[in-house]
Amino acid sequence: MFDDLKRFDVGSPQRLDWFRQLLDDFLPDGNAMDIRAVPHGSFPMINVARSDEAVHVYVFAAGLAPSDLAIDVQDNVLTLRGKRESVVGNEEREGSRPVFRRERVSGEFVRAIALPDGVDADRAEARHAHGVFEVVLPKREELKPRRIDVQAA
Amino acid sequence: MNNVVRSSDRSPLQQRTEQREQETLLPAVDIIEESSALTLVADMPGVTHDTLKVELDNNVLSLEGEINLNMPEGLSALHAEVRGQRFARRFNLSHEIDGDAISARIINGVLTVTLPKKDSHRTRRIEVQAA
Repeated sequence: MFDDLKRFDVGSPQRLDWFRQLLDDFLPDGNAMDIRAVPHGSFPMINVARSDEAVHVYVFAAGLAPSDLAIDVQDNVLTLRGKRESVVGNEEREGSRPVFRRERVSGEFVRAIALPDGVDADRAEARHAHGVFEVVLPKREELKPRRIDVQAA
Repeated sequence: MNNVVRSSDRSPLQQRTEQREQETLLPAVDIIEESSALTLVADMPGVTHDTLKVELDNNVLSLEGEINLNMPEGLSALHAEVRGQRFARRFNLSHEIDGDAISARIINGVLTVTLPKKDSHRTRRIEVQAA
C-alpha cells in the first residue's frame, strides 16, 4: 500500500540514503520542509495511514520489545522514545573483535511526528509484532465521515 | 495535478523499473568477527519466520524477507518512510565459512546469521618458542 505513495515525497529508496543525506548537506533545495522532517533513514522509520475510523501509525523498530518503546501523545504530536542495545557491544569491552559493518542504529532515540487533526488520543491502542509497532488512534466521533440522506421534497 | 502530468510522460518501462526499485529495501546490517564464526545481524522489521528466506548459493549468501503487516482494508497512506514490501541483501562469503553449518534466527524483526568457520581455519594462537 505504501508503494504507490507519490503525494508525500519523503525520498528515494533506502539504499540511496547516504547519498541523499550528502546531497541534502551540500545542496539543500529551496523548498519549504516540514518542521519535524528528519534525514532520510532515521531510526525508527515511521509510516502513517488513515482509514475512515482511525489513524494508524506503523513504527519499524526491529529489535525492540514492547517494553523498550515509550509512546506518548500530547497536543497531537506523537513522541516515540526508546533505546536499542548494540549487538556489536560497547567499545572498551568488545574492542578485541573486528567489526566490518556497523550500519544498525543503537543507543537512545527520540522521534516525534505530528498527527492529523481530530484523533482521540484517550482511546489509542498499540500493538507489537515482529519488530513493528502499530499505534491506532481512533478519530473523534464528530469527524468520522457520514452519509447525508437526501430528503424527498 | 502536477503529479499526474509528470507521471504520465514517463514511459511505462521507466515506471516499471522505478516501481521495482521502490519495492525492495536494503536492510541495515552489522557484521562482527568472532574467533570461531562471523556474525551478521540485519534489521528486517515486519519480516516473520515464515516470510524470511536465507539461501546459500555458490558462496553467495542471500537474505530476503517479505514485510508482513496486518493492515486493515481501506487504509490510505499519509506519510511513508518505508516504501516497499520486501528486504533483500546479498553477501559473498569467503572460503573459510562452513556453508553447511550456517544458522539463522529472527527475533522481533532482527535477523541473526551465524557463519561458522571451518575447523581448519579457526583462530589458534601460535606459541613462539624460546630460542
